[in-house]
Amino acid sequence: MTIKTTFTALTLGATLAAGTAWADGSITYAGSGGGLGQVMKGVFDDPFTAETGIAVNALATSDRASALKAMQVAGKVTWDVTELNPIEYATASLSGWLAPLDWSTIDPSGALPEEAKLPDAGIAATFSTIMAVRTDELPDGKQMTSWANFWDVETFPGGRALQNQPIDNLEFALIADGVAPVDVYTVLATAEGQDRAFAKLDEIKPHITAWWTAGAQPVQMLSDGEVAYTSAWNGRITKLASEGVPVEINWNGGGIKASYVAIVKGSENVETGQQFISYMMTNPERAAQFASMVPYPGMVKGLYDHIPAEKGAMMPTHPDNVGKQFVTDAVFWGKNLGPLKERWEDWILE
Amino acid sequence: MTKRLTLLPGIALIGMLFLIPVGIVFQQGLFDPVFTTEHFVRFATRGAYMRIFWSTLQISTVVALVCLLVGYPIAYFIVRQPPARRPFLMFLVLVPMWMSILARTYSWMVVLGKEGIINQSLIWLGLIDEPIKMLFTTGAVYVAMVQIMLPILIVTCFSSMTEIDQSLLRAARIMGASPRKAFREVFLPLSAEGAITGTLIVFILSMGFFIVPALLGGRRDAMLANVISGQVSQTNWGFAAAISIVLLGATLLVLVLVRGASAKLVHHQEEAH
Repeated sequence: MTIKTTFTALTLGATLAAGTAWADGSITYAGSGGGLGQVMKGVFDDPFTAETGIAVNALATSDRASALKAMQVAGKVTWDVTELNPIEYATASLSGWLAPLDWSTIDPSGALPEEAKLPDAGIAATFSTIMAVRTDELPDGKQMTSWANFWDVETFPGGRALQNQPIDNLEFALIADGVAPVDVYTVLATAEGQDRAFAKLDEIKPHITAWWTAGAQPVQMLSDGEVAYTSAWNGRITKLASEGVPVEINWNGGGIKASYVAIVKGSENVETGQQFISYMMTNPERAAQFASMVPYPGMVKGLYDHIPAEKGAMMPTHPDNVGKQFVTDAVFWGKNLGPLKERWEDWILE
Repeated sequence: MTKRLTLLPGIALIGMLFLIPVGIVFQQGLFDPVFTTEHFVRFATRGAYMRIFWSTLQISTVVALVCLLVGYPIAYFIVRQPPARRPFLMFLVLVPMWMSILARTYSWMVVLGKEGIINQSLIWLGLIDEPIKMLFTTGAVYVAMVQIMLPILIVTCFSSMTEIDQSLLRAARIMGASPRKAFREVFLPLSAEGAITGTLIVFILSMGFFIVPALLGGRRDAMLANVISGQVSQTNWGFAAAISIVLLGATLLVLVLVRGASAKLVHHQEEAH
């Protein structure tokens, strides 16, 4: 009796699960959930469903490279469209876990610049790891405008934080050491360049109050007065400033990163997936609506024509800001993260 | 026969959800795709990983022992209360367990921070001029982990203590034992089993701790679970599996050693009487 009941329950469970996964006219989107997921639902998912009748099943996901690997190993692909951060994209792309995209159907009118259209992914949004400054902690009459200033603990006393990972910090160290942002990856590709970056990090290490691991931490530390200067993600700082905390973004030497969208290899909904990617990426009004709610702008041409000037100034790809930063090289990190991460772990425990 | 049959779903569940996954972890750590010890060699020969391994063992041991020293007297106190009052006291012990660990960890940041409650009060009282650095230290990790683990130890101790026949203590007193002697000779040996079990549970849970060291610790306070999670997200599953095996092995070894030692101790006690 018990066994029979259990089997019935299991079969029923399996049927229900399969029913959700293979329902007609729906796609599964692996996003970040949370506040961002809410905004996307209002701007992209619900209007898309209203126009096309295709339901968007948005999931809150993390560790997506790992999940993609699991799907490919198991041969059971449960996501159609996925969001990817630069490292996840590099890993997935180099490992061949993404389906090729047909840009002539996604962007027939050429609304997107070429650099947003990769063979197996599109750049749907951009964000930047910038330096956030508590303006009330600055010494009188001084402005912190560069990573060299961040390293200058004599002129700018006060707590500091950086993220606990080699990505961004090796670049920041080289920039603080005088390397021009455009040359960062040429220098970092050499062993001497890597030694130079770690040597520069040695200088700042004793002055770092905390090495953060989650995006909410620098926000918390800035608002609690735990640190005066920290690296952080731009959108979080815009939000913190709007809550009345005296913080400012310094764009100089920030690391712009792309948030990619891609179709998982083995997805049964490639066509509808492409339709959804097109809907997300190619309409400047819609993209502007999204970017004014979360300051992570897309790449569509004419985006800033639809965004009020003061909001635009808070975005990493705004013409006033974009030139001050470097673009994080996803492929460099995809190839070099393993050894550099090990070196970083040794270094951080020293 | 029917009794055994009713066990089947449980066994099937453990097999499917525990034994098979653990088997896959072993396979991932040892085969890539042919048999290799490469991951284990890497773990043992790179200074950083061994250091994290030892500090994980150290943190877990200290947390388990502090929980025992703090939790055992609390459980004893509650057991000695009139039965009608005990549920309320246990309720107070259990309330923090219903709050998310993440929320409690962030709350410790508010308490221990530079502009946190403790530093603000000490400055206001004029005891210190400059805030003391408490957040992002090993001490902060200990404080928060003990606070999170304490209810587990108290509950385990409490449930074994309630099974002790209180009249045995009274009998000891009547026979002329001092309260201290009655506790030492009668209550302590009878409650030792529960206390050791509670301490081991806290130790095992601490070995896999993850959020607290990442949020409250300094740069040296990483634990093995943090390394495993990092390796999983970098899709280095073989290495992540190898570290998991090391963690599991070390935990089991401590479990066996402590169990063996405590069995001897209890046996010795019995012989002495």
